[in-house]
Amino acid sequence: MSEPVVVIRDLHKEFRRDAIRIPVLSGMNLEMAEGDFLSLMGPSGSGKSTLLNLIAGLDKPTSGTVIVVGEDLSDLTEGELAQWRSRYIGFVFQLYNLIPVLTAYENVELPLTLTGLSRRERDQQVKTALDVVGLADRMDHFPRQLSGGQEQRVAIARAIATDPTLLVADEPTGDLDAQSAGEILDLMQRLNSEFGKTIIMVTHDPHAAERASRQLHLEKGVLVDDVSVTATNQEQP
Amino acid sequence: MKTLKYIWRNVARNKLRTMLTVLSVGFSLALMTVLHGYMVMQSVWGRDADKHNRVVVMNIQGFSGALPIANVDDVRAIENVIDAVPFSWYGGTYEDQPMAFAQFATDADHAFRVWDDYKIDPDELRAWQENRQGCVADRRLAERKGWKVGDRIPLKGTFLAFDLDLQLCGLYDAPQYTDSIWFHWEYLNEGLKQANAFGVDNSGTIYAKVTSASQIPLVIEAIDARFASSQNPTRTQTEAAFVQMFTDMLGNIQAYIRNIGLAVVFSLSLVAANAMAMSMRERTTEIAVLKAIGFPRGHVLRMILGEACLIALFGGLLGIGLGCAFLEALHSVNTQIFPFGLADLAGPWLLVMLGAAAGIGLVSGIVPGIRAAQLSVVDGLRRVV
Repeated sequence: MSEPVVVIRDLHKEFRRDAIRIPVLSGMNLEMAEGDFLSLMGPSGSGKSTLLNLIAGLDKPTSGTVIVVGEDLSDLTEGELAQWRSRYIGFVFQLYNLIPVLTAYENVELPLTLTGLSRRERDQQVKTALDVVGLADRMDHFPRQLSGGQEQRVAIARAIATDPTLLVADEPTGDLDAQSAGEILDLMQRLNSEFGKTIIMVTHDPHAAERASRQLHLEKGVLVDDVSVTATNQEQP
Repeated sequence: MKTLKYIWRNVARNKLRTMLTVLSVGFSLALMTVLHGYMVMQSVWGRDADKHNRVVVMNIQGFSGALPIANVDDVRAIENVIDAVPFSWYGGTYEDQPMAFAQFATDADHAFRVWDDYKIDPDELRAWQENRQGCVADRRLAERKGWKVGDRIPLKGTFLAFDLDLQLCGLYDAPQYTDSIWFHWEYLNEGLKQANAFGVDNSGTIYAKVTSASQIPLVIEAIDARFASSQNPTRTQTEAAFVQMFTDMLGNIQAYIRNIGLAVVFSLSLVAANAMAMSMRERTTEIAVLKAIGFPRGHVLRMILGEACLIALFGGLLGIGLGCAFLEALHSVNTQIFPFGLADLAGPWLLVMLGAAAGIGLVSGIVPGIRAAQLSVVDGLRRVV
């Protein structure tokens, strides 16, 4: 059996507001195997996004261990974390967060500029990523010339362009209509099943969460439910 | 896609703000270019003055005193002096233009032996020597004024209460623009006699050509020693030192100009920094995204500094262009105060101006750049996510 992609042990995270300490995550333990598609649900303030940030190496825990792709993130400096993220993590945000002055092609190419690939190799990977999300014919369009669903697909192409080990998605369908949301979820399921991507997705939407192979429920920083879903349950009606 | 392309797109993102920032940097650098160009002008006068082995003799009291014309022959007689001429300023107006150009009275038979680096057609020189009211002019001055050989050049006296009616006999080519005409010292002296003015049979200065640079200190010593016991003791100096004396008269003004220029550049840096800070504030999330996908701090800082420098350099090019055009216009309007145009002024100092523009860019970008580089990704994303 392969090593888990994510290992979390006795994770605590608290924020400080002046002299007040606000605990967000309390003693969390979690493992994610390679190829998992995990959804994180819970009410606002339950710690979903904080957990996602910690797994993605955007934030550091107050105590405890976060090991992702075999790397204990507590040991890494800011610069090492940035390099690590560029190599192993793909991000999908609720509001897409594409760079408005760059075309779809250039947005997807952006993380590849950090890799040292040749221009031709970058071109090949960008076109492959855009092809996977079905937007190869829109590569010269700027974000303002795309619909919300298309923007999110470009954002997913950007996230997978470097072929990262783990995709982290924070409310990827939160700003989309039902049809576009469905298409995005289809795409994420395909990335998981066809391309073997390990995905962790924060969502408020139970229907979106059902697309994942595993559903976690957080409340007040504590994991209250961990449900594995059968392949049948994941099929769409 | 290269980083430069992204920087360029960001520069063009808010065209109005970029244009206003470019204009503000441009106009201030135009002012700096004019002020600095004016100071460079003062140094251009003496740029090659130490190459021609000339010395200038003046009364020890300065320009308020004069030198008897007989002193010219005495100077010529000093060992290692090739030749010497009187050189007196007239200062008349031409076509009601005060200080339209410089007018000097000298000795037509000897002048081009002292200024042997100036070139004149021998026939034109002979014509000048034979014409009591004749004069010769710097070719570039004649071209500017539209003069041709044979034209009359009437000059109206200002502090000397008599007029001159000169005729252009020839044109000389000087290594650098002189903005001058030369006429006969005897003609000036006649006018002084008729007006019963101060300075009859005197010269303002005496220019002398020395055999070699190594002989100059000895010649200076010999000249001043020759007249030390006379009624008009002298102060002799190299041509370069003489020119520097005029530049030094600007002394504090140069310091004021420099300080004003620095103050303008500093205040402009703050304006540009404010524009950059506004731009960065609007792009907080975008910067957070860049950092999230792996752009290191240094890369983010360099991109923002690059953007700030690019805007400032555009402003710098605009400003230097405007400043040069303004200097050229001032030169064409008044060559006495602005004696040199761009052809003579162009030099490394223009690159220094461009460097100042890059400096404005760096100063304006450094604080927003550091703040962006240090931005917490989580805080940056939280604004919208």
